[in-house]
Amino acid sequence: MLRKSFKLLLNEKLPLYTKFKGHLSTTSLVNEKWDLLTAVCLERKPVITQELNEIQKEYEELLAEVEFERSLKSDHELQHELELKQIEALKKGDSDDLDVNLKQTAQDFVDLCVEELTQFKKGSKITQDDKKNNDKSLNRKLDKHLVLLVNQKLGDQKHYLLPQGKREEGETLRQAADRVLKQCCGPNVKTQIYGNAPSGFYKYKYPKQIRNEKAVGAKVFIYFARHLEGQLPDKGVDYKWLDRQEMDKILPAEYKKSVGQLLIDE
Amino acid sequence: MSVYSLINNVARLSLQTSFSNTISRNVSTSTSLLFRATPCLMAEPLKKKKRLDPAIVRSREERKKKKIEKQIRRLEKNARQLKPIQECEVSLAILDDRSKRERNLPALSGEIVEKRILLEKKWALFKREQHLKDIQLIDRIGYSQQRAMDELRNESEELYQEALQIDFQLLPFSSQGPVETPPIKDYQPPDGDYQDISKVWQ
Repeated sequence: MLRKSFKLLLNEKLPLYTKFKGHLSTTSLVNEKWDLLTAVCLERKPVITQELNEIQKEYEELLAEVEFERSLKSDHELQHELELKQIEALKKGDSDDLDVNLKQTAQDFVDLCVEELTQFKKGSKITQDDKKNNDKSLNRKLDKHLVLLVNQKLGDQKHYLLPQGKREEGETLRQAADRVLKQCCGPNVKTQIYGNAPSGFYKYKYPKQIRNEKAVGAKVFIYFARHLEGQLPDKGVDYKWLDRQEMDKILPAEYKKSVGQLLIDE
Repeated sequence: MSVYSLINNVARLSLQTSFSNTISRNVSTSTSLLFRATPCLMAEPLKKKKRLDPAIVRSREERKKKKIEKQIRRLEKNARQLKPIQECEVSLAILDDRSKRERNLPALSGEIVEKRILLEKKWALFKREQHLKDIQLIDRIGYSQQRAMDELRNESEELYQEALQIDFQLLPFSSQGPVETPPIKDYQPPDGDYQDISKVWQ
């Protein structure tokens, strides 16, 4: 069984690797110049945990049952049992203990606690923005990862892509990523880029009319960043916070593959 | 004969003429050391040593020995007494009426036991698949980054070296969440008094 799974792993990996090798050889054969671009994949972590699936729920129940079976009775349970016996005795009338009715019984205590719990209102898992499907809001799809996409003009077409920008002379890629993020998000948003190394890569060729000696296409180095706090400005930028499925619908096919590779699955 | 007079006697044997000079130096560059000795002044005459009764001396030493032995004994006794951990130590009251606390549940039927075993197996399979997925995921992300780095190296060695640097802003790293329900905005927790009831152990 184990061996089979490893084979599976290898099979998954092989075609990618051979494809990658093919890429390398083409670029080394022809000495083309490429524009270097930096993009930032800004992701909001889920705020709440995802709902358990069926087997997880079943197993959770089992664990609770086993824990109950192995446990010993608590003081509270003992008191409750004792009180039940006393009430029985009172009903029969062979006890004249008057104190029983005066003190708080275990059942009373439980009732009080339950009442307090029902009065407490938990934060709702489904927010207003979920109902309106406001994809500009961070307060949506709390149990999912959300990625920032910005509407950008490439050539004469507009696409929703990760915020990207050209690297300027004398800048490292990381500095470019910082700059791009700041330009896109404004001063209110706090973010953290994970490391100096890019996490993903994508390249595309310009259409033949624009292609020149300076550059035949763009190589996009994607940095991964985590959103910490703050909202983007309302005006000036056309952006969307999307989860994985929504991103799949909106991104160009090849681009989607590159971005999907550096993100964790949901 | 004092040391001083002895040195003076020996000094006469020295070949160095400067020895008898009145100029005194602390450092010598020649072979013989030029130091001067003076008789000690203003010293107190030595006291006569008191003679003690050997019996008293012996008793004193014995007392000292006993004191140390007592301390050792006390330390050894305390070594076995560990600082109690309340969470680990069950109170004696509970231990005493343990039999009262038994649940005495009826034994599980064969059907339920069977169901549980099946569920355990299903769970193990589920976790295994989850783990495999995780490995593949990590592998894929690592591959993605390696590909980016390789492409970067093809373009510029300089930028590649920059990208290899450690990001010190990232360390130390901390992360919070996710939680079960979202936080309530502007929530005022009910007031209460804080009482520290933890015991102090010396």
